[in-house]
Amino acid sequence: MLALVIVLLVVVALVCVVVTGLLRSHADILRSLHQLGVGVGDPSVAPLPLGPQPVATPRFSAPGLPGERSSSTAFDIEGVTVGGDAVAISVQAAPLTLFAFLSSGCSSCAAIWSALGDEEQLRLLPQGARVVAVTKGPEFESPSAVSARAPRGLTVVMSTGAWGDYEVPGSPFFALVDGAAGRRVGEGVANQFSQIADLVRRAAVDAGPPGGARPGSPGRAGALGLDGAEREAANDEELRSAGITPGHPSLYPRSLDDIFASTAVLGAHPEAGYGPLAASADDA
Amino acid sequence: MATLFAKGIRLDLPPRFEGRIYQRPSVAGATSYPVVHAATFPLSSDFADFGGGATVGMQATDIFTVLFEYGPESVGRELFARSGPPTALGPNDFYPYLLRRGVGGQSGTQWFFTESGRPFTFYAVLGSHALRATLAPEVNTLLKQLTVLPASAASLSS
Repeated sequence: MLALVIVLLVVVALVCVVVTGLLRSHADILRSLHQLGVGVGDPSVAPLPLGPQPVATPRFSAPGLPGERSSSTAFDIEGVTVGGDAVAISVQAAPLTLFAFLSSGCSSCAAIWSALGDEEQLRLLPQGARVVAVTKGPEFESPSAVSARAPRGLTVVMSTGAWGDYEVPGSPFFALVDGAAGRRVGEGVANQFSQIADLVRRAAVDAGPPGGARPGSPGRAGALGLDGAEREAANDEELRSAGITPGHPSLYPRSLDDIFASTAVLGAHPEAGYGPLAASADDA
Repeated sequence: MATLFAKGIRLDLPPRFEGRIYQRPSVAGATSYPVVHAATFPLSSDFADFGGGATVGMQATDIFTVLFEYGPESVGRELFARSGPPTALGPNDFYPYLLRRGVGGQSGTQWFFTESGRPFTFYAVLGSHALRATLAPEVNTLLKQLTVLPASAASLSS
């Protein structure tokens, strides 16, 4: 009998120890929650009123969403030449500057590299338009490989930073900058130089004289003879010729990936009438 | 603002300017030194050191500048006695007859100096002598953005 009493006492003592430990642990948790701003039942403050209570803002939140892609900001480019010289290109140095973001190993770029050395092709560009080929920097591209691709006389800048500034999704990619206005007036992907020349020509006409009429000004599209229904019809025709019909998935992008992974990309300002440039970005 | 930095020369380019720092390969044992081109129009690697091929096509509002380094044997010579580049050029510092390639209507200036123990000449061409009062301040702004490291440090930045 005595033994049974002793065993019971021991069991009761053990249960007390366990309960005490649990209570202490619970108090620690409550204290920690309180320190995080979401504590309840703090005896040192007046009891909270009944009903809905304000919810404390979590101290940590998920990473912010990336900002919207800027398709009109223009940046000067600094980098090195294939020979290792330091070089900086000013977008204000020419009325129009066409930056061609290319790679040495990109299969779609081969035709563009070749066209940039073809006087006949370059004549498709408006007078005064300057072409600058931009590859990633020597940390990603072999200068000798780029040199082997680049036609003589073509300005080539190796600059990884420029690819970041212009948020280049892959190569080949093109950005057209109005030097006087200091802004990007067109961008897109293409695998034929004639498509690029068309982009440049349209952008040049839309922009009017460098630094002159801005989008929305009277007569901006008039130079092309396009306005109102005519302009809309021309845009529709170009979309159709590129295989983009009503309901085409490319017209309803749900993310940036949808836009830049698409095989048909419009210029930065579709409302300005830039034609669709059928191409593939095969070198991100 | 774009920045050029190579061969121990740093140049923060003001608006309108683009630039290049290069050094030609040594030929027949002759040692070459860095050259800096800065201009308000598209530069080409085909341009000669002092603007051959560049200045002919300049517009009236264009500026072309050259910073040309000489060898250390020139340090201490009277021609390079001036310390540092000029940074307060005025209209009277530009002359039509100071051009290396005389192009009608243009104007030029040239200065020799030593900076950080390295001897240089600075040569600038304005697209229009008539606009020198407007364009000279832009040249001054450019020169104020120039930083030259001693030759010992230059080898590290090449």
